[in-house]
Amino acid sequence: MLINTVIFLPLVTALVLLCVPRTASGALKAIALAGAVATFVLSLTFMSLGVSTVADFTAPWIAGPWSAAYHVRVDALRLFFVLLTTLVSAVCVWAAFSYAQATRLRGFLFLLLTFETTLLGLFTAADLLLFYIYWDLMLIPVFLILSGYAGSDDARKAAWGYLIYNGAGGLVLLLGIIGLVNQTHTFEVSGLVPNLSGALSWWLFGAFAFAFAVKTPAFPFHSWMPATYTQSPPPLVAMVSGVQSKAGLFGLLAFALPLFPDAAHVWAPLLLVMAIASILYGALAAIGARDMKLLVAYSSLSHLGLVWLAFFAFSITSVSAGILMLISHGLIAAALFLLLGFIEERVGTRDLGAVGGLSQHAPRLAAYMLVAAMAALGLPGLSGFAGEFLILIGTWQTQPLYTSLALIAVVLACVYMLVLFQSLMHGPERLPRGAGPIELRPREMWLVAPLLAAIVFLGVWPGWLNDRTPNAVTAQPPAVSTTVGRHA
Amino acid sequence: MSFQGVSISWPVLAPIVALTAGGLLVLLVDLASKAIPRGVLYGIGVASCVAAFVTMLPLYGQEQVTLNGAFASDRFSWMFDALLLLTLAVTLVLSSLRKAEDGGNAGAYAALLIFCTIGGFVMAGADNLIIIFLGIEQLSLALYVLAGTGFPREASQEAALKYVLLGSLASGFLIFGSALLYGASGGVSLGAIARAAAAPQGLFVAGFALFLVGLSFKLALTPFHTWAPDVYEGSPLAITAYMSVAVKAAAFAILARVAYTVFGHDSVALIPLWGVAILSMLVGNLGAIRQTNLKRLLGYSSIAQAGYIVVALAGVSPGGLAAMLFYLTAYAFTTLGAFAVMALLGDGSDTYAELASYRGLFFRRPWPAAAMALFFFSLAGIPATAGFYGKVLLLQQAFGGGPWGIGMAIALVFGTLVSFYVYGKVVWDMYAPAEGVAAVPSGNALAPWIAVVAGAAGTLVFGVLPQLFYASQPFLTAAVR
Repeated sequence: MLINTVIFLPLVTALVLLCVPRTASGALKAIALAGAVATFVLSLTFMSLGVSTVADFTAPWIAGPWSAAYHVRVDALRLFFVLLTTLVSAVCVWAAFSYAQATRLRGFLFLLLTFETTLLGLFTAADLLLFYIYWDLMLIPVFLILSGYAGSDDARKAAWGYLIYNGAGGLVLLLGIIGLVNQTHTFEVSGLVPNLSGALSWWLFGAFAFAFAVKTPAFPFHSWMPATYTQSPPPLVAMVSGVQSKAGLFGLLAFALPLFPDAAHVWAPLLLVMAIASILYGALAAIGARDMKLLVAYSSLSHLGLVWLAFFAFSITSVSAGILMLISHGLIAAALFLLLGFIEERVGTRDLGAVGGLSQHAPRLAAYMLVAAMAALGLPGLSGFAGEFLILIGTWQTQPLYTSLALIAVVLACVYMLVLFQSLMHGPERLPRGAGPIELRPREMWLVAPLLAAIVFLGVWPGWLNDRTPNAVTAQPPAVSTTVGRHA
Repeated sequence: MSFQGVSISWPVLAPIVALTAGGLLVLLVDLASKAIPRGVLYGIGVASCVAAFVTMLPLYGQEQVTLNGAFASDRFSWMFDALLLLTLAVTLVLSSLRKAEDGGNAGAYAALLIFCTIGGFVMAGADNLIIIFLGIEQLSLALYVLAGTGFPREASQEAALKYVLLGSLASGFLIFGSALLYGASGGVSLGAIARAAAAPQGLFVAGFALFLVGLSFKLALTPFHTWAPDVYEGSPLAITAYMSVAVKAAAFAILARVAYTVFGHDSVALIPLWGVAILSMLVGNLGAIRQTNLKRLLGYSSIAQAGYIVVALAGVSPGGLAAMLFYLTAYAFTTLGAFAVMALLGDGSDTYAELASYRGLFFRRPWPAAAMALFFFSLAGIPATAGFYGKVLLLQQAFGGGPWGIGMAIALVFGTLVSFYVYGKVVWDMYAPAEGVAAVPSGNALAPWIAVVAGAAGTLVFGVLPQLFYASQPFLTAAVR
């Protein structure tokens, strides 16, 4: 039952908020934050699970010719995605206090908390129908926040891009799921190796991969991303880029790769090209970006492309390193987008050319920013390095050519992250007129601090996570392990 | 009991008798005094729904025929009858609002609605071409009048006229097709036609084609859909709600019975139907994009939804009937709920049929807005609503339907994607910041609230626990004989 408590506590908190008057903003903030933090604390208890045990809850749901179960599970694979979600969500709920007009704060917190429940549901779902339900439900809070809270017409347009693109991905995924369940007659597919014809599994894996590529996003299905990432209010974009972007890659590990191991190999050459294209295109676009959020958005594309590469290189090191990289990227992206949000809020622009020299006025902000940016470019000692390094070691064994191409992006990452940091923090002071005090307020410092702490922690002790995940992947019976075995 | 050689089983006909009695009672009470409040007349109408439902209860799970096999009461028709009664009750409730349009003659209006529904009952149980035609005509004739009851508005007159003209054309196709089918098979029962279908000749093919065209008109399937948006927009609000659910349900009862009784699993005769369904899904959803009137938008939406429902028949498999009934039920709860929100806010009038009046509604009237969002999410097929699981079932059937089934599945998915925009736009407008937008005054009567809550409950419960509906699935597998 602990699992269900963790999944639904944010939703229950959100419903409680509806019972509080809209004007009682103090109470609203207290309840929302308490709910989000309690969820995080509860989710930490999953850490006590041994490597091979799982927390599991199953209830019969739909019987008949097609059966489905309400089956949720936290195992070694899902554990870190759950922890990432609860941590980033708690931070974002706290960050949201300053972003909505007072009268609309309740709705904003409500949507963020429901978003958290859909994410937690997704990362714990062991039944495909359940997985799909959360996959699609995620669209709604993001769509509503973008259309209702960002306040500009551009943001309202971005909401459409987000909905239609991700909706398309979702519907293709639904076709794939139905095509699969037409053969298995059950949505409870974890651990199942369906006996499919080669052509059918080729199509089905293609459908899954398309949906996952849109959600991540991976080149060339990323065109919804720039608008969504730049227009979203910071707490939302921190959750979308920090957590939601992991949904597709999680889906690959939890469902697509185990279900269609052979088709994955057939598709791999194309998907590897997509990965390299994401890595290089993202890095080059980030160098060219003059909009600070856009720069981080493209750097996300590049970093997640590396994980995509890791998964389809089919070497055991790279797959488990990919998980480390995903978690690390979630922390870094959330921290970067929140910090950039604070800056944008103060200076009123995202244009890198219009802002500079902030470190003179805001040494603490500069220090925070430095940690996050260095982690993003892969400085040893911070979490970004370990994941990147292990991925490259792993992929080198099976895909040396692509690995060398990916290495270019590692260099480029230094370029764009240093450009971002230097133009914001160093150089002569440039501030738009009327900008208020720049330095971080105490609340802002406290709320970003856990993310930075986690970044440092994973940087100095990646084994804390990495030692658990290889088992996670091999424990995924049986496909990823066999896939890996065949080529390693 | 038999009368001049025709066997009559009164228990089977009891629901129809109860409704007839209710309709006549409404007329008599209305005749007795002009001072009778309209609430009483509509109340009698709802009471006759309840009475009819009570008489239906003993028939649940039964397989009976009467009128020498021309009229069946089976598990299949029972579900349709229940849907029709639900729709009738909701329509009566919505019609009872202060500003609702009943042409100042509540008695005749309520009675016509009830008689209309009797036509639907006849269609649901019809096992014979003549009975099919009788049912359709009874339903249609009453609806032609009802569409025009908002007559001070020109749009309502236009709607009635268009409906009569195109409806009569459709009836012409139907009866001509029926005549040819009779000629080809030598009988009017569906059993006789099934025998002729085993070795189809030119006469049979022509007859069935015309029959299908007539039915497609009634279902507003593309390319026979052009009347629907205008008629939906012009008719009084409650009548539009009734049309979009009851007429579709009854006509689908006929279509399914014909498809399952007359044709087998891999019949080529149904291919035109699959083509029509694909067109409907595309045209209905694409046409809805530019609409600014919600009734009209739902008119286009109903074209697309009819296309979706046809997909359930793709494999002509037992599960297809269950899928169709589930989707129809989901559609009924959802659509009636959406119309109930419109009626609630506009107090029965059309003021909330304009999309513009929904701007910022979330901040003025959060609960009706949330309900409307839920209904539109369900129509779009967002998970955790009944519409979503309905689509899962439809896609399941489509995958069992060969290449045409796959084609329909792709059209369904594409149409759904377009509909994300169509329905999302309404939600988007409701959630938009509304500074400087004049708020349209909105009503808050109790009666439509009941319909809204019922619709929302059905949409959510069948969405989260579809098993509740599916529990009746063993009944449905053998539904059509």
